[in-house]
Amino acid sequence: MKNITLFCAGGMSTGLLVKKMRDEAARLGKEYNINAYGLAESDSYGPQADVILLGPQVRYALPKIKESYPNKPVETIDMRTYGMMDGKTVLATAMKLMGE
Amino acid sequence: MADEMEGLELVSFQIIASVGTARSCYIAAIDAAAEGNFDEADAQIKEGKEAFIQGHDDHAGLLTKMANGEMPPMDLLLTHAEDQLMSAEAFGILADRFVTLYKKVYSK
Repeated sequence: MKNITLFCAGGMSTGLLVKKMRDEAARLGKEYNINAYGLAESDSYGPQADVILLGPQVRYALPKIKESYPNKPVETIDMRTYGMMDGKTVLATAMKLMGE
Repeated sequence: MADEMEGLELVSFQIIASVGTARSCYIAAIDAAAEGNFDEADAQIKEGKEAFIQGHDDHAGLLTKMANGEMPPMDLLLTHAEDQLMSAEAFGILADRFVTLYKKVYSK
């Protein structure tokens, strides 16, 4: 199963977004491992990720994460999408980045 | 009540998104200034301040609600949003100082 990995400041608020993404994945009949972690844990969870999404709180880390994982798709979640807890759009972005 | 809770959750998330963006911009501003890229640093500070004001306004809206006795019970997500707001505010003050400092360093 593919891993969709989100990083934000502490992994807390993004946990709610993850729940919305899981609901949307279930609605689409897709099976993914979707998880959120704090940026400090990126070394532990980044290597297994199939796609990495960064919350707006850690957008500044995009160049560094891209450098660490040059062969993985890495993207940021924009402020509006994050603020609306729009799990549907974030999941669609993740799937597109994985070529699905 | 259920609608009200959902409303509070949404406002909390919007505050986190706005001030989180602000905080990220401020850090990016310091990084850009450290490289001597001051146009980028100034642009990041400007974007950060705009995002911060959005989050601050959303928070002020909650304070108005509270004053009118319309505020749902406080929860951990709103506490987290306020924590992020304070962190962003502090980063904004520091980013301003850091950019000024780097400008002096690079002009020597």
